[in-house]
Amino acid sequence: MLHTPVPRSRRAKRALDKRAPLIVENVKKSLIVTGSSTSEWVRDALKDLHDLKKPNSLRYTRKNELRPFDDATQLEQMSRKNDTSLFLFGSHSKKRPNNLVIGRMFDHGVLDMIEMGIEYAIPAEFLDQVKCTVGAKPLFLFQGDAFEFRDDYRRLKNILVDFFHGEFSDGFDLKGFEHLISVTAGPIPEDSDRPGLIFFRVMAIHLKKSGTKYPRVELTEIGPALDLRIRRTKYADEKLWRKATRVPRDLQPRKVQNISRDGLGNKLGRIHLGKQNVEQIPLRQMKAVKKLRAEKAQKERAAAQGTGQAMDVEPASP
Amino acid sequence: MDVSSVLESQKQASKATEVQRVIPLDYDLGHLMASDINVLDDKVLGGSDSAALNQYLRKVTREGAQLLINQMFDLPTNPTETSVLATLPEPKLVLPREKHVPKPKTKTRWERFAEAKGIKKQKRSAMVFDDATEEYKPRWGSKSAKNTANDWAVPLAEKDDPFADPRKKVRDEKKERMAKNQRRQQRNQEEAELKDRLPSVDPRAMKKQDLQRALTLTKTSTASLGKFDQKLKDEPRVKGIKRKFKPTADKASNERETSLGLLKQVIDGPKNTVNVRKAVKKTKM
Repeated sequence: MLHTPVPRSRRAKRALDKRAPLIVENVKKSLIVTGSSTSEWVRDALKDLHDLKKPNSLRYTRKNELRPFDDATQLEQMSRKNDTSLFLFGSHSKKRPNNLVIGRMFDHGVLDMIEMGIEYAIPAEFLDQVKCTVGAKPLFLFQGDAFEFRDDYRRLKNILVDFFHGEFSDGFDLKGFEHLISVTAGPIPEDSDRPGLIFFRVMAIHLKKSGTKYPRVELTEIGPALDLRIRRTKYADEKLWRKATRVPRDLQPRKVQNISRDGLGNKLGRIHLGKQNVEQIPLRQMKAVKKLRAEKAQKERAAAQGTGQAMDVEPASP
Repeated sequence: MDVSSVLESQKQASKATEVQRVIPLDYDLGHLMASDINVLDDKVLGGSDSAALNQYLRKVTREGAQLLINQMFDLPTNPTETSVLATLPEPKLVLPREKHVPKPKTKTRWERFAEAKGIKKQKRSAMVFDDATEEYKPRWGSKSAKNTANDWAVPLAEKDDPFADPRKKVRDEKKERMAKNQRRQQRNQEEAELKDRLPSVDPRAMKKQDLQRALTLTKTSTASLGKFDQKLKDEPRVKGIKRKFKPTADKASNERETSLGLLKQVIDGPKNTVNVRKAVKKTKM
């Protein structure tokens, strides 16, 4: 943080408190920014992706002279102003036609971003008009081994999930399937460093009765449909990434003492008994023990008599 | 009874929901996500026939979605009144936070004391019944029953000074209380800041040390080096700097060493002729 603003009024304090870092965070909000010159594909993509992210999205429709990869300060300022941590920037130029930059912020500074070119697009308005409810949680499907083995694809996957996943919950309504975001990796050209096409599709899910436990899934495309290709990238360095993915102590799983699990999944416990007091263990009284005790008592009596006698003895007079 | 038709329909039904994949999908149901690393048809995906491509994409995606949703239906469920909730596992994919983990707030002295003593904050109603006026009044504040500042008469006790202004007394006492509280607030803030900067330092010990240092300084600031100053109770003795002199007659080896060192300094000359600190000071900005 460059500076911590000091609130001068109660209202300002409340506004600042609302933006304060939380242990369990709210849904990340996105800021959709239009560049100084855009193409129809870019404008449609920005609008459709904004609709997909609603209600946790904010859209700037006026032109903004920005170059996120050269100087991200303005974008960071916008993020600070609106308290958003995701951004999508669209522009169109001769050098980089139909350009989209998708990225995210950490503490209102750019964490990572990926620039992509749209090579083909079908806006949502030309596809199935049965759209999903605003704020519904999407399903994600990533197809192609590149999302597992290629670094840039893997990071794109992370950003896309972070962008669209919506609110976290530990339960999901099984009647609440609405839409699916499917991202498919096209073939990667072997002869050049150029990454392959990535097919971004959004489908509405319709569940049909199948007579089994599982429903039959049918999909209709609701859009946007974008064919993308990765251009420039900027990733977080190791240190910043570690800081950004730190789990607060309150959310870390508590370490349970003395309980462990072995390789087979068996639960093992370690029990501490403390020191045993051997002296006070009530043993069975056996005859041999009794005999010993009788002998001991006799000896004691004899000793007592002996001392008594000694006392009684008068000194021998000469 | 012929059950073949029933079996056949069952088979058909399961066919509708079954999908074959060589490598099973990797599911991250906490994020409602599935990753498929099976080989795709690169000829269609890389080809120029967009109709075939879209058809292929739709087919593959439907199958993937079917597998993902099948997996979701296998999850343990928790039926509620209106819906059936599947219990999702913890997400596997690590996503970064949007802001840093908040620092735990440093406790004030009172909070630490209350914790040590097991004092818990109790919820009290804001309004209390006032017996004198027989109505509910705020527990504290200007309109509370406790506030006597605006009462038209003030009862005087026998020992009170009849000529003093009782209202002024109340006002002064309040001011004093406020000032005291403010001092404590400041102290807590300072201690919290210090704890942020130097977590291992005990702020009280540090304050004491500072005070002692200031005292020694003031003692030695007078012309008589504090000889005639009033002594405080349990005042620490100010230790002066003891000057050390080298013995006039030393061991021959030591003497040789110092002399040679001196000679070397003279011959080699000073290493750094510019005193940077002084030079900076003298430079006019």
